[in-house]
Amino acid sequence: MPALLETEDLRKHYQMGTSLVRALDGVSIAVQPGEFVGLLGTSGSGKSTLLNLIAGLDRPTSGALRIFDQDLSKMSSDELSVHRRRNVGIIFQSFNLVSTMSAAENVALAMMFAGVSRAERDGKASTLLETMGLGGRQQHRPRELSGGEQQRVAIARALSNDPHLLLADEPTGNLDSRTTRDIMALLKELNERDGKTIIMVTHDPSLAQQYAHRTITMLDGSVVAERTSAASEPAVDRT
Amino acid sequence: MTFRDTVGLALRNLGQAKLRTSLTTLGVSIGIASLAGMVSLGVGLQDQFVDRFTKSGMFDAITVLAGGDLPGPLAGGGRGRGGGPTPFGRRGGGRAAGAAATENSRDVNDAALAELAALPGIRTVYPNVRGAVEVKFRGASEFAQAVGIPMVIRGEGPFQSIPYGRFFTSDTEDACMLSLDYAKRMDAENPGSLIGQTLTLNYPIARRGDAGAPSGGMAMPGGIQMPGGLNVQRAELQCPIVGIVERETGPFAAGGGAAGLMLPLGKAKAMYEGSPQAAAALLRDPTRTSVTYPSAVVRVAKASSTQDVEEQIKKLGFQAFSLNDALQGAKRAFIILDIVLSLIGSIALAVSSLGIVNTMVMSILERTREIGIMKAIGGSDGDIRRIFLIEASAIGCFGGVSGVLLGWLVGRVINFGANVYIQQQGGTPGNLFSLPFWLIGGAIGFSIAVSLVAGSYPASRAAKLNPIEALRHD
Repeated sequence: MPALLETEDLRKHYQMGTSLVRALDGVSIAVQPGEFVGLLGTSGSGKSTLLNLIAGLDRPTSGALRIFDQDLSKMSSDELSVHRRRNVGIIFQSFNLVSTMSAAENVALAMMFAGVSRAERDGKASTLLETMGLGGRQQHRPRELSGGEQQRVAIARALSNDPHLLLADEPTGNLDSRTTRDIMALLKELNERDGKTIIMVTHDPSLAQQYAHRTITMLDGSVVAERTSAASEPAVDRT
Repeated sequence: MTFRDTVGLALRNLGQAKLRTSLTTLGVSIGIASLAGMVSLGVGLQDQFVDRFTKSGMFDAITVLAGGDLPGPLAGGGRGRGGGPTPFGRRGGGRAAGAAATENSRDVNDAALAELAALPGIRTVYPNVRGAVEVKFRGASEFAQAVGIPMVIRGEGPFQSIPYGRFFTSDTEDACMLSLDYAKRMDAENPGSLIGQTLTLNYPIARRGDAGAPSGGMAMPGGIQMPGGLNVQRAELQCPIVGIVERETGPFAAGGGAAGLMLPLGKAKAMYEGSPQAAAALLRDPTRTSVTYPSAVVRVAKASSTQDVEEQIKKLGFQAFSLNDALQGAKRAFIILDIVLSLIGSIALAVSSLGIVNTMVMSILERTREIGIMKAIGGSDGDIRRIFLIEASAIGCFGGVSGVLLGWLVGRVINFGANVYIQQQGGTPGNLFSLPFWLIGGAIGFSIAVSLVAGSYPASRAAKLNPIEALRHD
């Protein structure tokens, strides 16, 4: 089976003051369709940098980064924006909802950039929010919602353009333990039921062990460990 | 992202910062108001000028003078009413003597009029006949300039509206028309009541030996003997007032050569032909066979061909000038005035465009994180740029519309005040400010264009924001 995502000797260097920071220093990994991958490491290990490159928010210094056999390192900034709206859905630790928009508007915004008609995106935003258990809170502003609810809105937004790949950057970092379990259960369900491929960055090894099929541990810009976790086989393989 | 969604998002963003948006828009509207107001003043003044010019004159008219004479609006006739005891043909006679000495000169006589009338593109030709007569009315007597008015200018220029009475019915009618000013001196309270009353006009006629009196009046007994066997006598004409026009006018109808008393051209010509000066000019130059006129007016069929016809007339050896020349010069001067006024008006707009840049930069700073989010969920650089450009042009559009309204309002107020003053000074009130559709559209369009230019730097700054850094922004 061809990998959904593949990196080859991926490097990201940048200048900080007088010193050269090697945020990524030759990373070669592959992610299969339907996998739930946990990206572990301490802060500064390069895990978020890798996630940003996969999301198409940043460009690698060198190396190849292929998603669906397209090399992101060779894409123009317009092509990267198409990649962000079609191929990936991003979930952030701090939710990153537009504070002046309601939950429904936030979800619809992503579809607006994809050129979806108003009627269609309103309907779909409403359906997605109901699926997330936020049926009655669609017109609420982010500050009127709890952290867990905000993250559900963000997940609904990430799903709105039907991407194959969900990228989660510390999705439970700002949540209490009970809400963390709810959100993780939701991600697990999206992986298992809907077949979404998920790459989740976390600094919490136990969380990764519990929910991911596989963990990749990074240190100083390099992959130092890759192991299959306690979680079951990838959803696609199992069916 | 569709254009409609972009507009919707941009307007929504503007609505999020209502106070800032309205202050910036107010700045733009003041800028546009000052620009539109200034240009409106320039256009208004020009309209006033051209309007008065047009009403007082005819743009298809070319004044033709004898060759070798100096052209000028006053050539061919004295100015001012009641201009002294100068008989008909004073200037004509005087120039005829001078012109006879000039080699290439062409007289303006009946033959010349026929030659001019034969030129292509000409509607009609008529001579300028004028002179002073003694006017007796209700026992009072004074001298006045009288001019011959051809029938063809009925309903044109100053004859477009005749407040009292009517135009002449025939070229040889014993009738006269007065200017309103002249009529008011006779009857200040009710000038209209003069219609139908009769003026007694006295003028000199010259007779050679014992020949019969020229047409147009009956000779009085007695008279003065002049050199060349001329016997100058006093003729009298009973002349009913048939009409009163608003302004002093004449065949030039250009303000120059105007007079308060108007006679039908045929009548005036007959009086002129019999005048001592016309007769003396004939006697002085034996080559002359007909009366010479001080000048003539050529009317072209199409006003646009005035320039061409003027050239042709000059080639025939006459002097020629037209109102068009003067108007073209005046229009050039107005263009300069308009440019100066719009430059002054632009200062406020330049300041307000800086306000747009400031507002947009502030807004980007505030919305950095939002821009990062939009990029992360798939907004392209172009989408972000367009959102901001549309925000800027919306400010420009609102500012433009309200600015034109504001400019119009201020113009009305100033106009009202100015007209009160003008009327106190005895002038005719008018619109100092003119706001034609092209100015409304142009001002709003210019406002949008200026806002787009002002917004282009902030918009491209927003478009180029690095999404990762933008997302880290608080």
